[in-house]
Amino acid sequence: MTSKRIIPQFLLSGTRLVKGTRFSGFIDVGDPVSQAMIYDAQGADEVIMVDINASAEHRLIDTRLIGRLIEKCRLPITIGGGIRSVEDAERCFAAGADKIVINTHVADTPGLVEDLSDEFGSQSVVVSIDVKKRGDGEYSIHVLSGKKPVSQPLDAYLGRVIGSGAGEILITSIDREGTLTGFDLPLYRHLGKNLPVSLIGSGGAGCYDDIVALFRETSCDACTIGKMLFLRDYDIVRIKSYLTEKGITIRDA
Amino acid sequence: MKIGIINYGRSNIGSVRSALRFYNFDTCDIKEASDLRTADILVLAGVGNFAAAHSKLTTLGFWDALDRAVMAENTPILGICLGMQMFFEKSFENGEHSGFGWIAGEVKKIEAPLLKIPHIGWDAVVPSQQGDRLFSQIKFNYYYFMHSYHCIPKNPGDIAATTDYSGFRFVSAVRKDTIVGVQFHPEKSQIDGLRLLKNFVEMVS
Repeated sequence: MTSKRIIPQFLLSGTRLVKGTRFSGFIDVGDPVSQAMIYDAQGADEVIMVDINASAEHRLIDTRLIGRLIEKCRLPITIGGGIRSVEDAERCFAAGADKIVINTHVADTPGLVEDLSDEFGSQSVVVSIDVKKRGDGEYSIHVLSGKKPVSQPLDAYLGRVIGSGAGEILITSIDREGTLTGFDLPLYRHLGKNLPVSLIGSGGAGCYDDIVALFRETSCDACTIGKMLFLRDYDIVRIKSYLTEKGITIRDA
Repeated sequence: MKIGIINYGRSNIGSVRSALRFYNFDTCDIKEASDLRTADILVLAGVGNFAAAHSKLTTLGFWDALDRAVMAENTPILGICLGMQMFFEKSFENGEHSGFGWIAGEVKKIEAPLLKIPHIGWDAVVPSQQGDRLFSQIKFNYYYFMHSYHCIPKNPGDIAATTDYSGFRFVSAVRKDTIVGVQFHPEKSQIDGLRLLKNFVEMVS
């Protein structure tokens, strides 16, 4: 069985690593390259790095940073932030990205998912969707780092991006993000059913048992972790060792 | 011993270069077919779809030159992911396309209704032969995969390793003399991957 993946998620503001709560109140938590080297050495399964201001500022993530990362790290690197065309993606791949992740421009650029998956293959295209739970229990999609709502219902949106060639889906619960209160399990339980591509759960990881619950109770293939690594006393080695002990299939490293 | 990494605009050569340099191997980027002879060992990686990579290699004049370097001059070569798939006779990715044909067999889509496609993540690679030098002194033999297509060699003797993706068993490494192909990404697979790259270079040197 393919191992469940533990993915440190790096949010960038310019070239610095930041962390907030529910997509606001960001504070500086270090240098992305030195942090990536640490998690690589600890056996993280991947790193996802996204420039959270790129789309709003109509620019692409600083691709020089990708070059610095691949000089020092030997793990798969997914890059996002402001990618709105095949040319943008090409610049990220040329700099050393293994996969690209798109979010805001999936909603405002028709055909983007198709174009990217045709050109680079589905395996290189991750679609990221940020959701908020509404009063009626349904989820609404937001783009531009949670600032702009999208009218399309989540299930229909998901069906469309998968049909267009998304190779993996990253779903972040804005309500849980940075709160350390655990993943939104009902969300992933609902979405995970019969999903034909990999699902990455994101938002809320705060302790070992939050990750155990996600992998036991949902069909997520991977999870991202942020604050518990950057601002709490956790590391990848101990997380993996705990999950293995709980019977979750994890890669030794 | 110079390792030439084929740079045809469709591969993540930076990571391959950085991984090979970890062990201080002498690497160079091969941007033109005429530079192929400056390398003692070749590496062909690849991102994207088969037809696009084939057309890039052909346009840049690499296709025939690579065929000559490997077939006539016996230059050792490592194919990574799509690079490995191009070693085969043909691929059925979006139609039917001819490959180099160095290894007999075909490339087909992973057909497994209950599995998530593309196959993305870390899985175990099981060498066909005990004591295979390609996999020597490797601790876990876990490597990173990201692919929707897999190689089906005609001759079982060309199979160097297989991988079980939740019940779907496929060929994850092939070898025919000094032609070696891996479906996974050793350059992205931390310590095990670095060691495998070193083993390959030492094996064919």
